Amino acid sequence: MGSLFRSETMCLAQLFLQSGTAYECLSALGEKGLVQFRDLNQNVSSFQRKFVGEVKRCEELERILAYLVQEITRADIPLPEGDASPPAPPLKQVLEMQEQLQKLEVELREVTKNKEKLRKNLLELIEYTHMLRVTRTFVKRNVEFEPTYEEFPALENDSLLDYSSMQRLGAKLGFVSGLISQGKVEAFEKMLWRVCKGYTILTYAELDEPLEDPETGEVIKWYVFLISFWGEQIGYKVKKICDCYHCHIYPYPNTAEERREIQEGLNTRIQDLYTVLHKTEDYLRQVLCKAAESVYSRVIQVKKMKAIYHMLNMCSFDVTNKCLIAEVWCPEADLHALRCALEEGSRESGATIPSFMNIIPTKETPPTLIRTNKFTEGFQNIVDAYGVGSYREVNPALFTIVTFPFLFAVMFGDFGHGFVMFLFALLLVLNENHPRLSQSQEIMRMFFNGRYILLLMGLFSVYTGLIYNDCFSKSVNLFGSGWNVSAMYGAAHAPSERKKMVLWNDSVVRHNRVLQLDPSIPGVFRGPYPLGIDPIWNLATNRLTFLNSFKMKMSVILGIIHMTFGVILGIFNHLHFRKKFNIYLVSIPELLFMLCIFGHLIFMIVYKWLLYSAETSRVAPSILIEFINMFLFPTSETNGLYPGQEHVQRLLLVVTALSVPVLFLGKPLFLLWLHNGRSCFGVSRSGYTLVRKDSEEEVSLLGSQDIEEGNHQMEDGCREVTCEEFNFGEILMTQVIHSIEYCLGCISNTASYLRLWALSLAHAHSEKLAPSEEDDGEEETDS
Amino acid sequence: MLEGAELYFNVDHGYLEGLVRGCKAGLLTERDYVNLVQCETLEDLKIHLQTTDYGNFLANQTNPLTVSKIDTEMRKKLCSEFEYFRNHSLEPLSTFFTYMTCSYMIDNVILLMNGALQKKSVKEILVKCHPLGRFTEMEAVNIAETPSDLFNAVLIETPLAPFFQDCMSENILDELNIELLRNKLYKFEADRRAFIITLNSFGTELSKEERETLFPTCGKLHPEGLRLLAQAEDFEQMKRVAEHYGVYKPLFEAVGDGSGGKTLEDVFYEHEVQMNVLAFNRQFHYGVFYAYTKLKEQEMRNIVWIAECISQRHRTKINNYIPIL
Repeated sequence: MGSLFRSETMCLAQLFLQSGTAYECLSALGEKGLVQFRDLNQNVSSFQRKFVGEVKRCEELERILAYLVQEITRADIPLPEGDASPPAPPLKQVLEMQEQLQKLEVELREVTKNKEKLRKNLLELIEYTHMLRVTRTFVKRNVEFEPTYEEFPALENDSLLDYSSMQRLGAKLGFVSGLISQGKVEAFEKMLWRVCKGYTILTYAELDEPLEDPETGEVIKWYVFLISFWGEQIGYKVKKICDCYHCHIYPYPNTAEERREIQEGLNTRIQDLYTVLHKTEDYLRQVLCKAAESVYSRVIQVKKMKAIYHMLNMCSFDVTNKCLIAEVWCPEADLHALRCALEEGSRESGATIPSFMNIIPTKETPPTLIRTNKFTEGFQNIVDAYGVGSYREVNPALFTIVTFPFLFAVMFGDFGHGFVMFLFALLLVLNENHPRLSQSQEIMRMFFNGRYILLLMGLFSVYTGLIYNDCFSKSVNLFGSGWNVSAMYGAAHAPSERKKMVLWNDSVVRHNRVLQLDPSIPGVFRGPYPLGIDPIWNLATNRLTFLNSFKMKMSVILGIIHMTFGVILGIFNHLHFRKKFNIYLVSIPELLFMLCIFGHLIFMIVYKWLLYSAETSRVAPSILIEFINMFLFPTSETNGLYPGQEHVQRLLLVVTALSVPVLFLGKPLFLLWLHNGRSCFGVSRSGYTLVRKDSEEEVSLLGSQDIEEGNHQMEDGCREVTCEEFNFGEILMTQVIHSIEYCLGCISNTASYLRLWALSLAHAHSEKLAPSEEDDGEEETDS
Repeated sequence: MLEGAELYFNVDHGYLEGLVRGCKAGLLTERDYVNLVQCETLEDLKIHLQTTDYGNFLANQTNPLTVSKIDTEMRKKLCSEFEYFRNHSLEPLSTFFTYMTCSYMIDNVILLMNGALQKKSVKEILVKCHPLGRFTEMEAVNIAETPSDLFNAVLIETPLAPFFQDCMSENILDELNIELLRNKLYKFEADRRAFIITLNSFGTELSKEERETLFPTCGKLHPEGLRLLAQAEDFEQMKRVAEHYGVYKPLFEAVGDGSGGKTLEDVFYEHEVQMNVLAFNRQFHYGVFYAYTKLKEQEMRNIVWIAECISQRHRTKINNYIPIL
């Protein structure tokens, strides 16, 4: 518990690393994760540090490895993930590794380049065959299908009818044909029309199968087009436009024979290319498979190596340049392990002079280290999300282990659901070593990481569910209800008693839709249900009213207790840091403020529960009204809960009002007094206090002067105060902000804790919606 | 904008404004520049840029690193940011973004036309084109021989069409005409352009009347100052014109004479940076998007300048970048 209640005690240590062994030592330290390094070269820019060259080399290796991983995943080769993480590579191996990787990269790049070239070639050939196939139909087609323009002269229309007649005319009719991607067709056609002013015919048809774009590797739809144009100038422009739209242009065969020849040639070449491509791909796969074996561990090794050099960059050199000096924060408990790791590192590198460390005293605030295990980790994470406490502060995570699941359970409050949740969490906890769980999807992993939280939440929900008597939103009658309906008929009562009571008879039962059980009739209420809420409430129409009142009050009580507990934890901090004045000037006013208002409210709630029984319930005052009246001082006298309530409330209000100025000004004024050498206010006023009122800047000036002069007198007192520069304005501002936050927080948080009730209501109600049957025998009860 | 548009601004554009302000906070600081200037090689530059918001944008570049590689990668980064803004914007902000790309598109068109004149291949020039001003029809620019051709065939469907509409002529597109065309197109960034046009026209065959037609018809100089500028014959006269305007007077005074001092262009750049930074002082307007893009461009120019100085071992002028404060 000790380590979870407060963070670890830390000390600042100086490591003297012999420059030959520094790498190995750091590697050993890193494997154990013992220390946090401080940057001793903060003023040196990143490229002027000692080990920049090595970091660069690591980055180069990382680049190659990233390339390898990219190629491997592209080839769909599974990356074997070794579970053990290998240590950083020894320096001797680094060069070898670098050479290997570089060779591999060069080889791989060459092979992939060849492959890409072949693929591109193949794609082009395939495109060409498609184009030939599709354009063959264009020329044969009838005129009606040609997308001709109206302005187009009739002569050219005819010429397209039959290609050979065209040639006989001796006209220079040119053809450009190729493929264009789907999205560009429209713009292409428009531009063609505008530039060539109609001296072209564009025919296009969609290709039935999508092809890969040789440049981007994307699979898209293509259009095959054929442009017939008139004249050389136009042809030049057409080609330009085709370039602009990245069309793939292929030569257009003039005769049918030529077309057939090309087609045949293409087919054989495609066959050849396929075989070559297959061989290249096989070879590539072999290379990649070999690389894939070691790539995962290499990535980790390089990462570790880079981290080591980053740390070395934070060290400074000593005067002789033979020794690196690092400053680290280390938990005191781990100092022995730290020494061992240093020895191990020195031994590994075979150095003659061992690296060593010594502890240096410091006044700086060490970093916060809270060790967690798999159980506390989840709770610690929740707390850390709100902020990490400073060094040796009380760690609220310890208490969160109980409060968080409990407050959840207050809202969840269902025996059945809680048990299901508990079982689910138990399943996760029992199987926590299963590898598939820790590598699962995002949402599943969230559940997995919070499995212990879920477990406790489920357990607590079982408890609150029992209290609420809710099992899948139905009540369970375990012990037999404490209410007796038959007693309402009153056969057992003496006639003299009957007159005072409203009893049931046949006509009453028949004619009233709602009947009311009266606990004041003897025999009707036989004492409370042993555990939780009486199951009979499940049948009552005023069930919600009753539960709401109960849960609301419970929420406020829990909330106030929770908040008060927080303030009390603060006292532990003040005691630990030996700032007793904080208890008197901060914590106690805070407690008074809260308890005088809300503590009284709780008192009233409990008092009312205890004081009023079924018989006297009709005269019980409303707590809400009483609470409001506490602030309003109404002239009309109400009865109140107890005699003299008014005076008590006035007293409490006065205490509350008095605690506010203490909270605001107490600490700053006390610190000021301390700062002035504990001299009495009356005495110091004769000095420079008049100046002080004028400007705060001068105060701080005077203050710092004061420290230099009067250092010796104050050393016995509070060292913390004097070692920082004293700035009254700043302290005052911080305290004022803190106080305002606290006072407003008290009120708004109390209101927020009502959410416990609201959510509990929502949970119960949403379940109720599903089985919405209504019992006829509704009874109304009164409490 | 409508009455009370500030109230509804965040509904549509609040996310993007927040984003652009965050991006602006990622611009290089003075400290970064001090560090960059100390770099010995481009590798050092890369390492330092890694510690800034640029991140490891150069990680996949094989050695050796060159200035142009850095430049293209930076442009790519800016472009992807801009595309992100644009894809997530709603009207009328998206139109505003489209307008912002127009100047880059004009530059690209002019670049391509110049390239075509010099018989360079389109692909070669395409690399140099600014990625923000890319559009599909762009590559067909060199089909056109006259501006009206250009308009009718290539540009009519692009957002540039309304700009080109006014400057149709049947002149052959030679270098001078292209330059004139560009100046006619640029009707924004009014006053600086007027000064620069005047400055550049000294010692050319451009007549004063022609010069006047090139001037934009808005801005603080319009109309009186422009008329005076059209008559100016040398830098001194131009300076005298500028002295009538409180904004430009200190700028012209900051211009050094001859050697060592700042050029007029630098002074204008500095002023622009200042104005762009000021744009961030106010909320609920689109100016921040423009300002951010311009600041980022200036930053890229600075980095390229420093990188060039480093790679050419020309360290004396390395401090002539324009800091973004």
